[in-house]
Amino acid sequence: MAAGRRRSITAGAALLALAGCAAPSSEAPEAADRPWDDVLAEADGQTVDLWMYGGDEAGNAYVDDVLAPAAAGLGVTVRRVPVADTGDALDRVLSERQAGVTDGEVDLVWVNGENYATGRQAGAWLCDWALDLPNREHTDPDDPLLENDFGVPVEGCESPWHKAQFTLVYDSARVPEPPTTLAGVLDWAQANPGRFTYPAPPDFTGSVFVRQVLSSVAAGPGEVPLEYSQEAYDEYAPALFDRLAELDPALWRGGETYPQSQQELDRLFADGEVDMTMTYGPATLTDLVADGTVPPTTRVLTLEEGTFGNASFLAIPSTSGDAAGAQVVADLALSPEQQVAKADPGTWGQFTVLDLERLDEADRAAFEQLPASPVVPPYEELSQNAQAELSADWVGPLDEGWRRSVLAP
Amino acid sequence: MSTRQRAVLLVLPALVPVAAVVGAALVSAVLLSLGLTPLVGQPELSLDAWRAAAGDLGTATRLSLGIAAAATVLAAGVGLCLALAATAVVRRSRLLGALAALTIPVPHLVGAAAIGLLLADSGFLPRLLGVAPGDWPSLVGGQWWVAVVAEYAWKESAFVALVVGSVLASRARSYDETAALLGAGRWARFRYVTLPLAAPALGVASAVTFVYTLGSYEVAALLGRPYPEPLPVMAVRLAGSIDLAVRPQAAAVAVTTAVLALAAVLLALRALRRLSAWD
Repeated sequence: MAAGRRRSITAGAALLALAGCAAPSSEAPEAADRPWDDVLAEADGQTVDLWMYGGDEAGNAYVDDVLAPAAAGLGVTVRRVPVADTGDALDRVLSERQAGVTDGEVDLVWVNGENYATGRQAGAWLCDWALDLPNREHTDPDDPLLENDFGVPVEGCESPWHKAQFTLVYDSARVPEPPTTLAGVLDWAQANPGRFTYPAPPDFTGSVFVRQVLSSVAAGPGEVPLEYSQEAYDEYAPALFDRLAELDPALWRGGETYPQSQQELDRLFADGEVDMTMTYGPATLTDLVADGTVPPTTRVLTLEEGTFGNASFLAIPSTSGDAAGAQVVADLALSPEQQVAKADPGTWGQFTVLDLERLDEADRAAFEQLPASPVVPPYEELSQNAQAELSADWVGPLDEGWRRSVLAP
Repeated sequence: MSTRQRAVLLVLPALVPVAAVVGAALVSAVLLSLGLTPLVGQPELSLDAWRAAAGDLGTATRLSLGIAAAATVLAAGVGLCLALAATAVVRRSRLLGALAALTIPVPHLVGAAAIGLLLADSGFLPRLLGVAPGDWPSLVGGQWWVAVVAEYAWKESAFVALVVGSVLASRARSYDETAALLGAGRWARFRYVTLPLAAPALGVASAVTFVYTLGSYEVAALLGRPYPEPLPVMAVRLAGSIDLAVRPQAAAVAVTTAVLALAAVLLALRALRRLSAWD
């Protein structure tokens, strides 16, 4: 019958089309080696789609009102594409790669270490361009945060944007004598049932918290090897899960469930259901206090042993058709003018990746004259004893182990 | 050309795109779950993804079926009552119908956010009633998925009411009056006239509700809890994993969901054919 034949032809065609797209090579393509003036000339007139997490109002405003007009001065149009999760941008790039697209929808992505590592796994990022940006000379070439991103070498496949520090946040009105170490925080949580919880991994922040506890129960920073191995996991993970399982009944709602995201934890904190929250981007706190979302007595809890720090980056997908324009925007974002504007707590308050020693007098003065935030201490204080992030290979097994041992034992 | 052939030809323009899109999506999910179209590495036929997902698949399937069944039963019950009330010959019945219809264009995501704001332990309702967050039952993110079922039941009851109501409005009244003239009481008229007339539409609407609820993600993700998780939430979590090697597991979960939904549709169609045989 006609319909039957038609149906089998359709199915056959679909199968063929799908079988045709085998996995693309996981080799990362490299940017052409050429003078910066050529890049500038090619970038003129290009439109760069910058995909970034859209839930941060201050960040959106910075890109729209500060970065985009400056890029327009160089002939590059910046179009901000807000995404709920950076993984969405990566998914888009991966499917474009599978379809063999060379002029994709994504030209520049604000990536965190996890997504960068995932993209490297599939060769989704353009490489060998970030070290050649003219403004790169203002950064410290030996800065460990800029050499490795979650244990994956950066190697010129992404350009630094700002630094971040994992921070615990508490309400000083409700916790008058805050603990000073992470072990102390866990003991405090145990002594104050229902007043503490953390987002369930694989939420980004919850995942960091679990790694931070791993480092704490393993007798301090530096004890757990940064490189993942099954032996290291078997050695250190059981103590971590034991400690968190022991803590579980003392958490919010008796540990029977967990907030699913940092936003949910922030809401619990704002509603006074818990006394602490946590974030990898303390910059947003200034705004949250100013607009009254969280109480004015909100303070940052600096830990004696320090916390994980990292840098976030801008990466160019290998499927981008406007890679030159994207490089120009990444270079612009690294310029002292843009970095100082972004570091202003009134704008976005993100910590700079530049090395102030390498700036000229006027630029350094601009950084030093930045107003201080009433809530967030300066980066030097926050990043005291900063610990290096464990490699991204740790994340999956720890998240999965947490699900098995703590969430659903 | 026979009438049958012409009918098939007329249906083709609608059928082909649907078959192509759904078919291609399903085939690609099956291929991915069998390791034949990996994002990285060499294609190789294996059941690894199915084996790795199997542990949680049972719990997730039971939870998904439970949520879908509870929401469908509630939606069918409430929807039928709404339809009866809206088609009854009393004042304000039109208003009731209009109010129910207003619910339909509200997206589930918005509905879920609204239910969350209303029922969460520091939400509007506990504040209104002056209940402390700690004393409020965990409706959102709790053990019984109350908020999730409530959202689906609320939204889908309006859908059921619309479908059933339209059938009743066009056909029920004359039969109802005839039965009344012949001396049938209220209950007898409902049992032997209205219900049989409404049953096919109620069945179809319930089947659609069940399958929709089974495969929908956003409400369960917003109002649910991290563990256990229904099938779609599990699929999305695995698909978003930072390890690309986990994605085939997400495809396996998605295929499971699709097979369950398909089975539900087939069962419902069989039951409906028997139900509407009298027509």
